[in-house]
Amino acid sequence: MNQFIQSLVDAISAGAVLGLAALAIGLVFGVIRLANFATGEIITAAAYSLILTWHLGWYVSIPISILVAVGISLLMELAVFSRMRKAGPATLLIASFGLSFLLQRVYELIFGNNVRTAPVASELAQSVEVGGIRIQMLSVTTIVLTAVLLIALQLFLTKTSLGLQLKAAAADFRTARLVGIPAGRVIGLSFALSGILAAAVAFVLTVQSGAVGPDFGVRITILALVGAVIGGIDKISGSLAGGFVVGFATSMLAAWLPEGMTNFKDAFVFVLVIAVLLFKPSGLLIKGRGVVRT
Amino acid sequence: MSTADTRQGLHVKDLEVAYNGVPAVRGVSFEVNAGEAVGLIGPNGAGKSSTLLAIMGATPRSGLVTVHGVDIAGLAPEKVVRTGLALVPEGRHVFTELSVADNLRLGAVARRDKSTFKEALEYVLDLFPILRDFGHRQAGLLSGGQQQQLAIGRALMSDPDILMLDEPSLGLSPTAVDSVFEALDVVRKAGKAVLIVEQRAEFTIAFSNRTYVLHDGVITLSLKPEDAENVDVLTEAYFG
Repeated sequence: MNQFIQSLVDAISAGAVLGLAALAIGLVFGVIRLANFATGEIITAAAYSLILTWHLGWYVSIPISILVAVGISLLMELAVFSRMRKAGPATLLIASFGLSFLLQRVYELIFGNNVRTAPVASELAQSVEVGGIRIQMLSVTTIVLTAVLLIALQLFLTKTSLGLQLKAAAADFRTARLVGIPAGRVIGLSFALSGILAAAVAFVLTVQSGAVGPDFGVRITILALVGAVIGGIDKISGSLAGGFVVGFATSMLAAWLPEGMTNFKDAFVFVLVIAVLLFKPSGLLIKGRGVVRT
Repeated sequence: MSTADTRQGLHVKDLEVAYNGVPAVRGVSFEVNAGEAVGLIGPNGAGKSSTLLAIMGATPRSGLVTVHGVDIAGLAPEKVVRTGLALVPEGRHVFTELSVADNLRLGAVARRDKSTFKEALEYVLDLFPILRDFGHRQAGLLSGGQQQQLAIGRALMSDPDILMLDEPSLGLSPTAVDSVFEALDVVRKAGKAVLIVEQRAEFTIAFSNRTYVLHDGVITLSLKPEDAENVDVLTEAYFG
């Protein structure tokens, strides 16, 4: 029983972090139909920042990593995606693949192929015992961090004019512009928020591993993309929920699959994905088959 | 943006729109002055919606479009709204997951005078009292007629001088259509210009100061309100 509760907390934590990563992708997709595969490299950049500046103190390192993530995210938009406004989602996705590979090579050139290490918030890697159950501090921190970010995002999206504009643009970009919502403003905002979420993901992953290499953000981005699609990338809440489901399922499978099969946990997750896409091709949270937007 | 002339209202001259080289609107010219309603009717595919979208800067076009004498060539839709034009799109396109109040707040994003937001909101809520009762309701839960009222209210929140509507009667009950056109009459009498694109010819011709018939992207007829009951004219309008 105790083992189950421990794995449940870990799975909720894994779901939360993947939910954040999927949300980072879904926010941008909602506005400009870009499933940004290079979100992984934003995560990687934030992780390098943490590793390289952690010795300066968390109060310096964390803000730097957020600034770097937001900066890279906005730079991607300005340098690449803003020049492809008329491209369809498939072209944008391919462009983001290209950007992802390019940035991985750039990181390799700058930081080398070997991983860089630092004990980022190593105290969070410890476990605490609560009522006879050992729980990792990092799992609890991840769940709290995700909850705080989601509440803040929800307040921003519902209580501020800028947030409402972003929400409207994510729901129906063309109508939002016809209503008078400036396209550049909401697109920039979506990339900035995506950067903040990517920095949060980078923090959790860096604490977990204590090491970062050029392809650090790739695996979580693939899973987050998959999560966003099965949840319904058309909706912000769909991306979040889908990411959570994939993260939760992956963690639970890792904990409960018979020994020798845990290496196949991702394969089992993708079987789940195929099943969802067969029965709900537009995503779990989208009613009907979804709407093709023009 | 350059000053072309000093005329008020919307002036469209030699408007051309093409999709992948196929012309949809060919040399359309008309004007809509303050306090008047102008109709644009024609069968499906005549180029009516393309005309409105082109005026709003939402689709590429050539030709001259001026608002109060100012050429709005090359302006993005969000900037066109700030010149005093507003479009109620076909199919209403309210933000279904947002509340009625939030939809109206978003309409005010492009207001030129933000200090009069409350007065504008009261004006819209007096025009469509149902929106006052349903302020916190999710827009997607409103009926079609109520959504149309919300879409018009949202457009009015930007304080437009020229209100353009694309098929406002589409999918609405006769009662709902009546209430929409009654509201548009109030808007017109308040001095705003109204441009209505419709398939319901009789209704539009009777309501508008003048109505243009569009066929294959070309204006083929100009009708007066009294033509609404002339069957021959209506037949000509639709079948050429």
